[in-house]
Amino acid sequence: MKLKHHSSQRQFRTLTEALLAAPQDRPFITDWIDEDEIHTVTFGEFTRAARLRAVALRKLGVKFGETVIVVMPQGIPLMTTFAGAMLLGAIPTILAYPSFKVDAAKYKSGLMGVSRNLRAAFVVVDDGFPEDLIAHVSAADGARVVRTSEMSLEVDESDFPDITNSPDGLAFIQHSAGTTGLQKGVALTHRAVLTQLDHLAKAIAITSEDRIYSWLPLYHDMGLIACFMLPLVHHVPVIMQSPLEWVMRPGTMLELISTYRCTLAWVPNFALQFLARRVRPEDRSRYELSSLRGLINCSEPVRAASIDEFITAYERHGLDSKALKSSYAMAENVFGVTQSEITGSPRRIWVDGRRLAQTNVAVPVSNTAAQALCFVSSGRCLSGNSVRIVSPARQDLSDYEVGEIVIRSDSLFDGYYNRPDLSAAVCIDGWYWTGDLGFCADGELYVTGRKKDLIIVAGKNIYPQDIEEIVSRHPAIHDGRVVAFGLYNEERGTEDIVVAAELENGVRTDIKEIERNIRDAIVSELDVAPRAVFLKPPAWIVKSTAGKPARSTTRDKLLHEHLELA
Amino acid sequence: MEDAQSKEYVQRMIDYVVSEVIQRPVELNADTLLVSSGLIDSLALVNILQYLEDVTHMRIPASKVQPKDMDSVALMLATARRVGKPRK
Repeated sequence: MKLKHHSSQRQFRTLTEALLAAPQDRPFITDWIDEDEIHTVTFGEFTRAARLRAVALRKLGVKFGETVIVVMPQGIPLMTTFAGAMLLGAIPTILAYPSFKVDAAKYKSGLMGVSRNLRAAFVVVDDGFPEDLIAHVSAADGARVVRTSEMSLEVDESDFPDITNSPDGLAFIQHSAGTTGLQKGVALTHRAVLTQLDHLAKAIAITSEDRIYSWLPLYHDMGLIACFMLPLVHHVPVIMQSPLEWVMRPGTMLELISTYRCTLAWVPNFALQFLARRVRPEDRSRYELSSLRGLINCSEPVRAASIDEFITAYERHGLDSKALKSSYAMAENVFGVTQSEITGSPRRIWVDGRRLAQTNVAVPVSNTAAQALCFVSSGRCLSGNSVRIVSPARQDLSDYEVGEIVIRSDSLFDGYYNRPDLSAAVCIDGWYWTGDLGFCADGELYVTGRKKDLIIVAGKNIYPQDIEEIVSRHPAIHDGRVVAFGLYNEERGTEDIVVAAELENGVRTDIKEIERNIRDAIVSELDVAPRAVFLKPPAWIVKSTAGKPARSTTRDKLLHEHLELA
Repeated sequence: MEDAQSKEYVQRMIDYVVSEVIQRPVELNADTLLVSSGLIDSLALVNILQYLEDVTHMRIPASKVQPKDMDSVALMLATARRVGKPRK
């Protein structure tokens, strides 16, 4: 099955041209730290700050075409440094800033691996960046580490160099999501980014009336492309807060959307459940969410239960249920591949779970049928994008047949930065083999899971997400903190299912009962029994840089702690 | 902070870390290193920071907290004093 959409026209040739053409007085970024500290800049102020950063970087020796790593806390100075490097014709890339909730040893090794691969000439860190981490970002020979206080902004804007970026020159490097250290660089040209933004803007029907809300990290494509580059090119305001602040106080997202009348936001699926469960009902009366026309569920498989939970929680606070959208996106394609209809809700279909597991075919059934599994569409291809569903024998599959999702587009990368070894296996004849599984139906894409995570039990294909969703429903389990994986059992000659789930804070009693309930729910819904269910204390599950449970790292941690599983 | 109040905060934080995070008997004092010593996982720090806000009645902007600020109960309380704001 092949889904295809053709290209459309663009207005600007480069991202920097788009920035410089922005209306000077229009608000651009509002960085909300807390109720007492809110920083807002117009496009004019932002551009001027970016030009000053460009002059300062140039004085420090940064040259056209050189890679500049930026490791700064999320905020306007990070964004102006990034834009300043682009104005200079350098190639910036944002890496995650050390956070108290990320393991220091993992952060150090990740930073070392990623910065070594980038071979950057310059690394810009803020003054608060820990001294002991400097060595981990200066791995490239001759790389210079600069603290922001060394970048004197007492420069003359007239010193701004006369540089014209080329549409086919590299604009920046973003990184694919993954556990720290395994992230792969994706170098993108101005043309590729603008092409993607053009298609995306058309699909979501963006206008100058829109306002974007974001807590997404800028080192991730969803934050960088949808919530920084899209508003930069389309000249719309963005209201942002730090990811950590959102995790601490998720309700602030809804407060900001209400206050600033935001119309668009992107979130990973788990955030919907998190917002439905973590915000106290008594705090919700001050939310007024009617301005929201697109809350786009992206970057992990879209789950109907999470969408419904969010709608139930916030419909009475002005939320239009049709605002919940879905998209399939990845850094390798700049961002979006598909997008659900902007005027309606994403389609849902129910399929026979037993036949799906046994035959890899999604056979539609009624939503009340026994073992009916619900899948939410990720929508149709954006302009210029094509999707194929391919079998392990590399044959194209028909509608409803599950296989690997393979994509091609006019914004697709041509390989991982400095990693031809990783690129050859996934970039074949102009198509990118995503490693995701899914099926197409009636011109829309349904994502079912990751190929490498699929659990095969006696010939039945079980998606770990299905198990994780069932386990997450238990009230004693922390939402979204569940990992299921397959473990090969030599005696049985097939895989066993193993589940690790985090208990909610304060849950002490009835552990056996909780475990039994979870087992019963899995057996009843999926017709398979897990070999082991491990209930772990809060914060035990390992998370990826994108904040999602990292299945393979968590698996390794569990096997290390439970040698009896080996 | 008053000395007696400070002592009470320290004790409440220690009690929380032992009972809710480490979940086994362990000797802790205000200066015991928690994350760098491997006693607790850094992922637990979000819950600890929320509890710190409850104990101190402060609002602590998470974006202003660095890893080194959370490595002991004494450092956490110093962080609350440094960047915390009275709750509204």
